[in-house]
Amino acid sequence: MEDSAVEDSPKQSNWPIYLYIPNLIGYARIIANGAAFGVAFTNKELFAILYFASFVCDELDGRFARMFNQKSTFGAVLDMVTDRVSTAALLVLLTHFYKSHYGLFLGLLALDISSHWLQMYSTFLSSKASHKDMGDSKSTLLRLYYQHRFFMGYCAIGAEVAYILLYMLAAEGNIGSPYEVTCRSIGNGTVYGILLAIALPGCAIKQLVNLVQMKTAADVCVNYDYARHNSKAQ
Amino acid sequence: MRGLSPMAQLSEWLSPTKNCLLFSTLQESTFGAVLDMVTDRVSTAALLVLLTHFYKSHYGLFLGLLALDISSHWLQMYSTFLSSKASHKDMGDSKSTLLRLYYQHRFFMGYCAIGAEVAYILLYMLAAEGNIGSPYEVTCRSIGNGTVYGILLAIALPGCAIKQLVNLVQMKTAADVCVNYDYARHNSKAQ
Repeated sequence: MEDSAVEDSPKQSNWPIYLYIPNLIGYARIIANGAAFGVAFTNKELFAILYFASFVCDELDGRFARMFNQKSTFGAVLDMVTDRVSTAALLVLLTHFYKSHYGLFLGLLALDISSHWLQMYSTFLSSKASHKDMGDSKSTLLRLYYQHRFFMGYCAIGAEVAYILLYMLAAEGNIGSPYEVTCRSIGNGTVYGILLAIALPGCAIKQLVNLVQMKTAADVCVNYDYARHNSKAQ
Repeated sequence: MRGLSPMAQLSEWLSPTKNCLLFSTLQESTFGAVLDMVTDRVSTAALLVLLTHFYKSHYGLFLGLLALDISSHWLQMYSTFLSSKASHKDMGDSKSTLLRLYYQHRFFMGYCAIGAEVAYILLYMLAAEGNIGSPYEVTCRSIGNGTVYGILLAIALPGCAIKQLVNLVQMKTAADVCVNYDYARHNSKAQ
């Protein structure tokens, strides 16, 4: 995954940014995702392989960016947008495979879009205003979360893995609510069940963090206006 | 307070709430703008998810529209922020003719944006009423039959189509802004 901050990396003089190697990998990710969702209803193994391939590319493009000194703002945005769209598409799939509980997955989709949108907006606002005016409004949970990169990774990957496993279980013919399918597979001790048992806590924490981040990001927006108003009043 | 005029007294009494009143009077806030944006995105996304259910054979079409909506608006927002950070001269003017025309005619813009939402809602209504078939079949049938839905669809669909085209163009110009931002920073460091 690419860093969102693009620092002082010297640019290759004539290599167009659109053709940077990590960005080419980004395009490959999009193609893999498109193909995956094209076969999601007809070929679940192929879907899993393509989605996993896209996931691997997500890891690779960050490494290649550092390796070739080809970090770019466009690459960071490409990465972000691809993450959002592929998570959204996967959740859409789950509304189909668990039709009785489509509200759950629609809600997770709404939470994913809203929290990341607000986060991005507040990140930009924070870099504009003076640090003293904004104050430190991050919660304890978020501080802990961001200080432990490995834990962060576990939660983010846990969410994606949980969604993919729920898809695989339903596509194989397991019927019932997502809760029933989960409990059944964990109870039966299948591979999917064990993986789900590991991934689900991470998934749950990720959603909690998303919620908290929405609140703190909204606070940043509000404080930004107050800070501007106060500086004008002086 | 006693020696002040009635208006001054009122003003003094209200001063702790002056900030609050100011914002509630102006009704403009950054938070409100973001809330608005996010609600738009989520409600459009949810409507398109519904359409993937009602037109299962063509779920790829609506999934694609969902991807386009999220991507283009996300890139637009990012490029707007980058433009406000960088010097305008460095960024250059990368907007296309289509976008210039689009933004100069607010009424046209409104027609396209509303046209998209109306088209989606109409497609939903038609399918929920029991019309079966692909979205194209359902559309042609209702327009051919001259029903109210059909007439509204015939009016809304061109706007919807143009909106998607504009989304595509905006993705490209926004991506250009991201690229130019890096070049401008690199050039300013090289000097």
